[in-house]
Amino acid sequence: MDTFLLILINGCAMGSVYALMAMGLSTQYGVARILNISHGEFIVLAAFITFVVHTRTGIHPLICLLIACPLVFAISFLLHITLFKRVKKISPNMGVFEGNAILVSFGIYFIVQNMIQSSMGSAPHSFPFMMYPYTVGGVNIAASSVFVMVIAAIICVAYSVFLSQTRLGKSIRAAAQDPQAASLLGVKINRIMAICFGIGGLLAACAGVLITMREPFSSVSGIGYTTIAIIIVVLGGLGSVKGAILGGFIMGIAGYAISTFVDSVFMISAFYMIIMVLLVVRPKGLMGR
Amino acid sequence: MSSFENILVGNGITKRFGGMTAVSNVSFDLRKGEILGLIGPNGAGKTTLFNCVSGFLKADEGTFTFEGKVINRFNPDKICHLGLGRTFQAAKNFPDMSMRENVRMGALFGQRDMTYAEAERLTDETIAFVGLEKYAGVAVPDMPLAMQKRIEVARALATKPKVIMLDEMMAGLNPAEVSEAMDLVRKVRDSGITVLMIEHVMKAIMSICDRIIVLHHGELIAEGPPQEIANNPHVIEVYLGGEV
Repeated sequence: MDTFLLILINGCAMGSVYALMAMGLSTQYGVARILNISHGEFIVLAAFITFVVHTRTGIHPLICLLIACPLVFAISFLLHITLFKRVKKISPNMGVFEGNAILVSFGIYFIVQNMIQSSMGSAPHSFPFMMYPYTVGGVNIAASSVFVMVIAAIICVAYSVFLSQTRLGKSIRAAAQDPQAASLLGVKINRIMAICFGIGGLLAACAGVLITMREPFSSVSGIGYTTIAIIIVVLGGLGSVKGAILGGFIMGIAGYAISTFVDSVFMISAFYMIIMVLLVVRPKGLMGR
Repeated sequence: MSSFENILVGNGITKRFGGMTAVSNVSFDLRKGEILGLIGPNGAGKTTLFNCVSGFLKADEGTFTFEGKVINRFNPDKICHLGLGRTFQAAKNFPDMSMRENVRMGALFGQRDMTYAEAERLTDETIAFVGLEKYAGVAVPDMPLAMQKRIEVARALATKPKVIMLDEMMAGLNPAEVSEAMDLVRKVRDSGITVLMIEHVMKAIMSICDRIIVLHHGELIAEGPPQEIANNPHVIEVYLGGEV
């Protein structure tokens, strides 16, 4: 029973970070139609920003959100209005654009990864953070896990409120559901796509900052995060925030269960097993239309 | 050609897809306050012409002039803001939003500097205008087709257009719904909005249009009042198949 509780709570803590990663990827693909292979690199970038700022200045890692989020948003937004906008313009249709955009994002993946690697090396990095335990239902839970879960939940709720209540959020939802119809109603679709690509980066930065509080990371961790995010987006249903959150928790708990009972090296292959079953049983994802 | 009379003018419009010419050197004018029908067999280029006007496709040749301004290079959102609204052949409502939210999107984004309060008022007004009040709480995909098409009209109307382009609004409707849709089109025109409509339902097109233009293989083959079009031998040959 204790083991199950431990898996549940730790899985949820990891899952909440996965949910942020997946929400970011889903926003980028759902609206801007870019399956961003470099998504994980921006998670790693934010993680290193947090690591450097926190270890050098002693600033609380959570405060690093205020540095990493605007920075990664700006980089992503600029990448869209320079690179991707141009690629979209020269692609004859959206199908071709999606293919080209994947190739471009592969390029960004290598560039960002190499830049981080050349300045930070390939060794795993971590710092001690809230190492003391909480006792919940008879098991000891790291305080950091609870902290990360709470912050991630706040970000998820804030993002949902943003999407449903603000003017920009409404135009993003409309653009995700039907870009043509949205543009016809006066929504500036190219601008929305750039903003959504930026928001995807911002959510990646949130995930990156929170990851530093839980587990070691290195300059080559990025592609693993991207892979997990892609799996969760497929699991949860494309473009669905609820799906990303649900999928994130499922994968977080499944990942912890596999590491506990089998071996953590099987985690990704087990994730893919889940996806293969899902694609046969419910191809549109758990919350997909 | 008086710019006061013609609100929208297409001049020598050509659109090619690879080797296929979908619209070939089409010129037309839309007179302020009229209902202009656009007919032609499937694949005649009607929807392509609509897509060129609304900015989804850029015409390869020719110009569209809206209220004296050339609009060819504008994006759809700018064309919407200028006052050109449209609907789609297959209703493109936002499925995850309620009927009211759909209409509100048009009200909120269709005009610049729209306040929330003003958008709410416009939304209610538009919903009442098209007669959708009783569907306020119903999910869009659960509504009958005729009502889904009506949402699209409402959404376009909420952007406060000067011209509305309706793409097969009556396709798939039963006779009672067609006559309701015809009443709505007349009501829209009577409210001061110029109508350009693609339609296959002959009864509707012949009774409500002031003028009709006919496309065939991308070319404009006839233009005139409904009776003239119905008796035009060329039109009967290529399109009506001698039925009328």
